Amino acid sequence: MDRRRYLQSIAAAGTTASVAGCLGVLNESGAEGTVLGPPEQDLSEAAHPSYGDEMPEFTVPDPITGEDISTTDFEGERTILWTSFYTNCPDGVCPALILRLRRAQEVAAQEGYSDDAAFLALTFDPERDTADVLRKYADQQGVDLDAGNWHFLRPESYESSQELLDEHFGLVIEKASADDIENLEYQFPHYGLILLANKRGIVERAYPNGATVDIEIVENDFKKVVEG
Amino acid sequence: MKRRDLLAGLASVGAIGGAGLVATGTIPDAFSNGSETPEPVESTTLDTVEAPGSRDGEVTIPPDNQATFVDFFGTWCAPCVEQMPALGEAENRIGDEVRFVSVTTEDVGGSVSEERVVEWWRENDGDWLVAADVTAELAAKLNVGAYPTAVTLDSTGRIQWSESGIHTADEIVAGIETALNV
Repeated sequence: MDRRRYLQSIAAAGTTASVAGCLGVLNESGAEGTVLGPPEQDLSEAAHPSYGDEMPEFTVPDPITGEDISTTDFEGERTILWTSFYTNCPDGVCPALILRLRRAQEVAAQEGYSDDAAFLALTFDPERDTADVLRKYADQQGVDLDAGNWHFLRPESYESSQELLDEHFGLVIEKASADDIENLEYQFPHYGLILLANKRGIVERAYPNGATVDIEIVENDFKKVVEG
Repeated sequence: MKRRDLLAGLASVGAIGGAGLVATGTIPDAFSNGSETPEPVESTTLDTVEAPGSRDGEVTIPPDNQATFVDFFGTWCAPCVEQMPALGEAENRIGDEVRFVSVTTEDVGGSVSEERVVEWWRENDGDWLVAADVTAELAAKLNVGAYPTAVTLDSTGRIQWSESGIHTADEIVAGIETALNV
């Protein structure tokens, strides 16, 4: 039985609603290896990875656990939610990004799939974001470091974080003056990208407006991908 | 998802088909992001903090049949300190007409102590209800962007105004009036 006929027969059985809710999964134009259907907005021309692309491969230390974390470690194991940030972010964008990862972590804990999830928050300000600073930040932002699925990623140097973000994520990071902000020597104008990648290492969603994207959409997309 | 898994999933849906004619409301929801008429926000009950103007107990947001103003803050957040005087003024002017509450998304009682919140509240002259959204569940439902974020909901629990950043007392009062005049 082909898929379309299968759908029709289910619809006839009176479960239209449930099946329609799964259309994203069935969508025939879905990219190879994805769980979700294509996003409403086609981001394939963007500089950053987007739907259907491979999650970039890189290895960066987690300064809190002392491990080297590679994105490929999670293939076949965990669904990834990734973002980049820095703790001195003066405008609240970074806490908003972290809040979206934190909520996905919270929902994973409540629904019992913590061990199928990895939350990767990469700082591009390794000079200021030391292990202690990141641990304190996790406490402030309600991140659960004990869940074993959250990794702060801290490149060895500012230059290597610049290179990593430019090369793999199409994000150009430059230190900028922060004269207008008290107690801040420099800041990084940046935009808030969140990436969701499945266990096969394929990007399911790119949220370029990650600081404002609807939190429940991220939670639900993440859950669907984990369960896919 | 593998096709076989998918078919198995659908088959089990089919089995409960009769009973499960299901919340059909999920069809449009699944395909539209942000429709024109907002749905009422599902209510969340939070613990409140014993602090000046506040008391130890619970608050449900949104409450039944009452408009609400929520200020999302964190004790780590410098702009939230700056926001406090305008909040105080707005609360004086219009606080009696709404459920007026500040909510921290910190893990109060976990990674951040309740004493820390009380201390911050005193230092910044808070004098109204303050609550802890320890799992950020309310923040998720109200889609907090940055801190501080101000949200007003009307008496049916629908969001009427939501904006991050520091606001003047006039802006806050206007945001609340939007929710009262629905």
